[in-house]
Parts: sequence; structure tokens; C-alpha cells
Amino acid sequence: MTHRSPNRRLRTALTLVLTVGCLAAAGPALRAQNAPAAQASPAPAAPPLGALAPANRAKPRPPAPFDVTGVWLHANSATSNFRFAPPDGFKLTPQAQVHYDAARKAQAEGNVYRDDIGQCWPAGLPLIMTRVWPIAMMQYPTAIYMVSEFMNSLRVVYLDRPHSDPDVVVRSHNGESIGRWEGDTLVIDTQFFIGHHHWIDSGIPASDAMHVVERVRMVNEGRTLEIAYTISDPKTFEGEWKWTKRWNRVDDRDIAEVSCYPDLNDHMPSTRSKENVR
Amino acid sequence: MYTVLLAVVAAGTPVAAHHSAAGIDRTQSKTVTGMVKEFRWGNPHAWIDLDVANDKGVVETWSIEMTSPTFLLRAGWKSSTLKSGDKVTATVRPFRDGTPGGLFVSVTLPDGRVMTERAAATP
Repeated sequence: MTHRSPNRRLRTALTLVLTVGCLAAAGPALRAQNAPAAQASPAPAAPPLGALAPANRAKPRPPAPFDVTGVWLHANSATSNFRFAPPDGFKLTPQAQVHYDAARKAQAEGNVYRDDIGQCWPAGLPLIMTRVWPIAMMQYPTAIYMVSEFMNSLRVVYLDRPHSDPDVVVRSHNGESIGRWEGDTLVIDTQFFIGHHHWIDSGIPASDAMHVVERVRMVNEGRTLEIAYTISDPKTFEGEWKWTKRWNRVDDRDIAEVSCYPDLNDHMPSTRSKENVR
Repeated sequence: MYTVLLAVVAAGTPVAAHHSAAGIDRTQSKTVTGMVKEFRWGNPHAWIDLDVANDKGVVETWSIEMTSPTFLLRAGWKSSTLKSGDKVTATVRPFRDGTPGGLFVSVTLPDGRVMTERAAATP
């Protein structure tokens, strides 16, 4: 019978531990070496600079033809109505016609038809632009931030990028707005809307296929903003609908925090859910 | 309906509504006298809760919807213009369904001043 000395047993144990340890440590490297090259993950690209990043704002760009920074209030008038009403001879799709007919019936009976804004859903584009509430606009070389006082709805018009990949874009009631300068006009293209609880006019739904183009001009020596709208929505109506709206600069106004409060809605018959025709 | 949403009252005062006004009968007006239960000064609307005795002597609370403080400030209003317990006379465009209340038109304060939502004319 052979007896190992304690020192020899200790050396054997240490050797075993070190061997196992080295193999374990080398395992991932060995597996990586044996893995097909195609599975190697490329280094992630650096995310693009945000619109407010100083380095982005400082990039050389042609000067903007005008600056909308200020507070603007829609000028409700005979030639600039707050409604985006359908034009003469309009033709709705069958699914939109159902809503339109139901809205007309409700109106004739003195009822409310799907007043989603009253139920705290966002107004969304285009209605958010013509509420009787001012809109604060802040312009940077990379983006224009619009905050309507009405429910503090945020709209960002990016000037430094194309539209997002439809596969990753996050839809919203105001959509994704991308702007570009064409001479003295700012052209804003907006797509990718949420197509439910969203309306162009009473009984005329805005679908997820709506496409809004705004041609923005500064007129009246900078005191008036004029926007020519062209809207198409093949799930709701045929062709394109066009309107021109105007906003006045209101230098004596600021915007405040405005939220939709359930207790306020419970206070009035017109906003109680049970009073709404669904 | 949106046709009357954010509508302009006959006098031209904008109503900063956040909802349809289809439930309001704009062809009618009602004037009631009562005791202010609450005056809420806030966005998107200010409102007055007014306790009014009906024909049978039963007290009903009238909910009177106003425009936003932004507009009211320009019409001379402050959060202290009305206080709980004030006896006032209010005129409203009533709710169609008969619910006590409606859209604010004017109020006569205890000191006799008549307040509307209309901004004072600029000289």
C-alpha cells in the first residue's frame, strides 16, 4: 500500500483545480474561435445625436428662412375656420360613411357622437393645431418643438432626419413630422398616426393611413403663420382634402399646464361617458 | 359635435372647451340665484357650483362651466372673485337634458358688478 505525503496530495489537488479553472476560463474563447465568423456580433453603431444635442445643433446648415419661435393662436375666421371640414363633393369610404352618418344622426338629435377629446383622448393632428388654445413653438436648426396649451400636446417637427423605418416607428396621435425647407416655405410631412379615437372632423375618422403635408409660410411681417394643408387618408376618403389656416403671433401670452381631469369630466353631462353616443 | 366644439358664442367670446358642446342648448338661457358652493379656478375650465332652490324648495347644485383662467383673467376675473357662500345670480346656456347647470354667460356679484367672460375692450 502506497501512502502519499500530505504535500503531494496538496500539489495534486492544486493542479486539478488550476486545470479545471483554466479550461473553464478558456472555454468561451475556444468556443468563439470555433464559431462561424458570420455569427460574430458587429460593434453597435453609435446612436445618432438627438435634436437638442449641442454638437448636432452646431453642425453647419443653411440659415432657416424664418423662425417660428413664439406663441401662436389660431385665427378663427371665415377664411380660416378651426374645423377641417370635408370639401364639397367629398366621398367617404364605406367604413367612414358609417361614422359620418351616425354623427349626423346624433347631431340632429342633439347628442354627442364619439367626443373622444372630451374623454381625454389626444386631439391629434390635424385638430390639435386649431384648438382655441395657443401653441408655443421653439425652433432649433434640428427641430421645431410645438407644445399646444391644450392638454400640453407635444409635437416635434424634425429637420435633421428622414422618416423612421416603419418597422420601428412608434405611432402617435400627432404622428411623425419631418420638415424640410423649400425656398421661403417649410414643408412638413407627417405620417404614422394612431388610427383609433382620432378624428379629422365630426364623424370623419383619421386612420393609421392618414398622410398630412403642411406648407408653412411666415407672412404679415412675421405676425401671421399660414399653413396650407393637404391631407389624404385612403381608409377614410378619396383623393386629397385641402385647407389653408392662419395663426396670429400672441406676444402677450404664455402657455400653462393643462390636463384632462376625470373629476372635471364627471362634472358635466357633455363629458360623462354614459352621455356619449358610441 | 366638432361643429360647435370650441364654438364662438354669439358675442364673440371664445369658449376654450375641451369637449363637444352638443349637450348645451344655445338657443336658451336660464337665470338662477343661489349660493356659491365652490368656484374652481383651473385648467382647462373654471367652473361654478351654485346651490339653487328649485320650485319645490329643494336645493339643487348647478354646475356652470366657464372658459379657462387665461381668458377669464383678461375679463377681470381672479380666483377670489367668487367665494363659497356668496349669493349670486347667474345666467347660463342650459344643458339640453335638464341637468341643473350649463355654459356660463354672466354672473351678478353680491356688490352688483356683472361679470362675463368677455375681455374688456382695449381703448
